[in-house]
Amino acid sequence: MAPVFCLAKTILCNGDRFMDTEDKIRELERRNREAELGGGEERIAQQHAKGKMTARERIDYLLDKGSFQEIDKFVVHQCHDFGMDKKKIPGDGVVTGYGTINGRLVFVFSQDFTVFGGSLSGPFGQKVCKIMDLAMKNGAPIIGLNDSGGARIQEGVVSLGSYGEIFKRNVWASGVVPQISVIMGPCAGGAVYSPALTDFIIMVKKTSNMFITGPQVIKAVTHEEVTPEELGGAIAHNTKSGVAHFAEDDDKAALERVKQLLSFLPQNYKQSPPKVECTDDPDRTDPSLNKVVPTNPKLPYDIKEIIRTVLDNNEFVEVHERYATNMVVGFGRLNGYVVGIVANQPRFLAGCLDIDASIKCARFVRTCDCFNIPLVTFVDVPGFLPGVGQEHGGIIKHGAKIIYAYCEATVPKITVITRKAYGGAYDVMSSKHHGGDINYAYPTAEIAVMGPEGAVNIIFRKEIAASDNPEETRKKLVEEYRSNFASPFKAAELGYIDEIIFPQDTRPKLIRALMMLLTKEDSIPHKRHGNIPL
Amino acid sequence: MSEITAPMGGKVIDIKVNPGDSVNEGDEVIIIEAMKMELPIVATASGTVKEIKCGKGDAVEADAVLIVLE
Repeated sequence: MAPVFCLAKTILCNGDRFMDTEDKIRELERRNREAELGGGEERIAQQHAKGKMTARERIDYLLDKGSFQEIDKFVVHQCHDFGMDKKKIPGDGVVTGYGTINGRLVFVFSQDFTVFGGSLSGPFGQKVCKIMDLAMKNGAPIIGLNDSGGARIQEGVVSLGSYGEIFKRNVWASGVVPQISVIMGPCAGGAVYSPALTDFIIMVKKTSNMFITGPQVIKAVTHEEVTPEELGGAIAHNTKSGVAHFAEDDDKAALERVKQLLSFLPQNYKQSPPKVECTDDPDRTDPSLNKVVPTNPKLPYDIKEIIRTVLDNNEFVEVHERYATNMVVGFGRLNGYVVGIVANQPRFLAGCLDIDASIKCARFVRTCDCFNIPLVTFVDVPGFLPGVGQEHGGIIKHGAKIIYAYCEATVPKITVITRKAYGGAYDVMSSKHHGGDINYAYPTAEIAVMGPEGAVNIIFRKEIAASDNPEETRKKLVEEYRSNFASPFKAAELGYIDEIIFPQDTRPKLIRALMMLLTKEDSIPHKRHGNIPL
Repeated sequence: MSEITAPMGGKVIDIKVNPGDSVNEGDEVIIIEAMKMELPIVATASGTVKEIKCGKGDAVEADAVLIVLE
């Protein structure tokens, strides 16, 4: 689309013809409008027909009204091969710039599927890199709205180089500023690596997907038949792979989720998360908490009941909800301060730790530590899930990730053991030994190296075998062990638990500890960087 | 047709439905005991109980099919 100059009105000045300033202004307005149409009305209609917003509509919805400052609106590609020089569209497939969300600065790129299928070229990548560089220098979050067919094949290796520059910046920015990816259309091949390196991935159900190799290539190579949705849709990645943290019904819901996440995050790693005024009594006790943990230790309960009860206004934003449901993570507030919640969920897999739960936990703990978010951990874990699949799947190294995450984290760490905390699982779940600052336990806590049956079988093997009635002896010893050791008191005697609390007091206790820890400063030994088992 | 499977290895301690019963998604159909805890297993879809493939007291493995729904 070659620019056309308007020659409607010219000023004669000493025999030369000049374009009137007003005409130049109108020319700019025309060019702006042309750029804002992206790939044109027809392609915009096609986007809408699929239930998708356009790149600009998304930015408009996401950012505060009138705050968006676009950068590089007129950038075009420089490709001469394959007749590309005859097809130039201003913006080249991505809308980039900065603005505010709830008054706070953010940098955003929004891929435009109406322009060459949102495919990435050299200049497209340069536009994205430019705002990523600005975000890092100015300490503000990067929001990526992904809707792209991938590399623009005509660009050849240039597109690969462009992707590489983006990925490098994702890594450099990691832990400096929050990076949130929203997958709002296709995201395939190398393109997925940029979101993969970010802190949170939000996917839109049915209209978005992510995979390295798609259904056609898979069918050709392995003869497996699978639809794009089954392979890499929002639900697949939220439940099976754990690659995505959220699955939203449509574009608007996904963008609202971005705003919600940002409200819990600081602008950059040098800041604390935003505090809000607390409208929920910090001294609120709740007698219903005394009944949440069932008297029968075999019965499950929903840990989210405890979580919601203690948080400000009962508001808990769960992250990664559909993945590893035996572990619960998410954000909330206590006395107006943001906290990251981690909890075993007794309702699923008996609350055991397995590979997926370990990864989910460790990742969330480290994300919170990146951004100065205190951690509150609720523990009810009988142990690690036994099984050949778990062992051969590497539960050893994945479980170790939890240890690594908690020991490395220097944010305030508060722990509440509600019921079981057995064996190694006791250690890994934010124990005092791994840097727990304040460790609480309920009277129903069972903190021991092993359950009573297992322990008795080992310690009293000879006595049981030698007794007249082994079963009676065993039962008696199990009861004794249960009352002596399957309780919080031994751990409290050792100072491994700072205080045994009444469940109804959980909220005020957490808040007191959190207020005390607000000025915490801590560090780990200096090094190039640690070597987390991967 | 859908299958309700064991999420982890354990022992069947209670079967709450009979063949022919209709169940809704989310109804508790079986309780298994594992890691010294009772785990309620819920129906992952609505339907009619076609076949119960385990008995009370049976030891079952992870992913074992417990109930078949129509």
